[in-house]
Amino acid sequence: MLFFSKMKGGGQSPPSVAFSEIAWSWVGAFLGITPVAFLHYNLFSGDDLVYIIGSFGASAVLIYGAVRSPLAQPRNLVGGHVISALIGVIAYKLFYPFPWFASSVAVATSIAVMHATKTLHPPGGATALIAVIGSDKIHDLGFFYVFIPVGVGVLIMLAVALIVNNLAKSRKYPEFWF
Amino acid sequence: MKFSSLNECTMAITDDDIIQAMKHIPGYLDITPSDFMEVYRLAFSHAMSRLKNAIKAEQIMTRSVIAVSEDTPLTQVIKKMAENNISGLPVVKDGQTVSGIISEKDFLKRMNDDKTSSFMRVILQCIESKGCLAADFKTLVAADIMSSPCITTLPKTPVTEVAGIMDQENINRVPVIDDKLKLVGIIARSDIVQTMC
Repeated sequence: MLFFSKMKGGGQSPPSVAFSEIAWSWVGAFLGITPVAFLHYNLFSGDDLVYIIGSFGASAVLIYGAVRSPLAQPRNLVGGHVISALIGVIAYKLFYPFPWFASSVAVATSIAVMHATKTLHPPGGATALIAVIGSDKIHDLGFFYVFIPVGVGVLIMLAVALIVNNLAKSRKYPEFWF
Repeated sequence: MKFSSLNECTMAITDDDIIQAMKHIPGYLDITPSDFMEVYRLAFSHAMSRLKNAIKAEQIMTRSVIAVSEDTPLTQVIKKMAENNISGLPVVKDGQTVSGIISEKDFLKRMNDDKTSSFMRVILQCIESKGCLAADFKTLVAADIMSSPCITTLPKTPVTEVAGIMDQENINRVPVIDDKLKLVGIIARSDIVQTMC
């Protein structure tokens, strides 16, 4: 019965944030996603590299919306995406005849390695998955996928986070670098 | 009660303590040690201010107050204090409102030429054979030697505030009165010590 009683929760949900926090999250995400999306739509127009935007959308929630979370720190943002991208590409290359298997190996392994390297960043799971489920154009990039679109996009998002989050009086970013 | 010094105790917790504690908890914690420290400090001071106001005077006061009236002869006051083994009691007017308070200090003051009334000074005076001035207690009444007006407090006053008053005014007991100025209880220093434990 302990198993089921664990499902009750019982804790309290944390308080909600101030309006200024909501506003800064919006501004940060808008300014962070704009250059990344613009690059993707214009440099790789019609190209399904835009997939990766999904992963960056998730990162935006953390680095502009939950600034103080360990998950949102530069080490996690950059490390999580780069490591997961690498693992995603390797998983595809090893297991591409079985994409369903390559997918689960990519995501599961990237979580494990992110944990081990203290770079846990949830959107990393998406980055690893996209390396497998993306189109042939993504597959053709090979390990280049780690640098473009992943690496460059992440650095742009990080630069925006450093500027926007430190402009806000109530915010400070990062909490730590490494 | 110096709560400020208690608050400084929280400084004793270090980043390393927090990291050790986080290692104790299995699984990933989505909070940085510095954020935890901030939460801890704020939570601690919040708890302190809550506890400061948690216990009210009415919860610890003695309700059956031993009191005398203004015209009670001092001989009876002395008897009452001796029999009940107390070192002070309030003086009431019309059987209800507090008009003053009598403590050992007031007797000492009376037995002394000097305004600084210590027990030792009274003994010294006796030794130097200026005569022990207890004699006129036989003719006086409570109102003659009581300290008046005296400091009182309300039933809803936090105990920590009462403790602060005792500390500041250097007194040992504070009568508790209701909003109609009627005596409803008394708090002695010892009551507060018991509360803190």
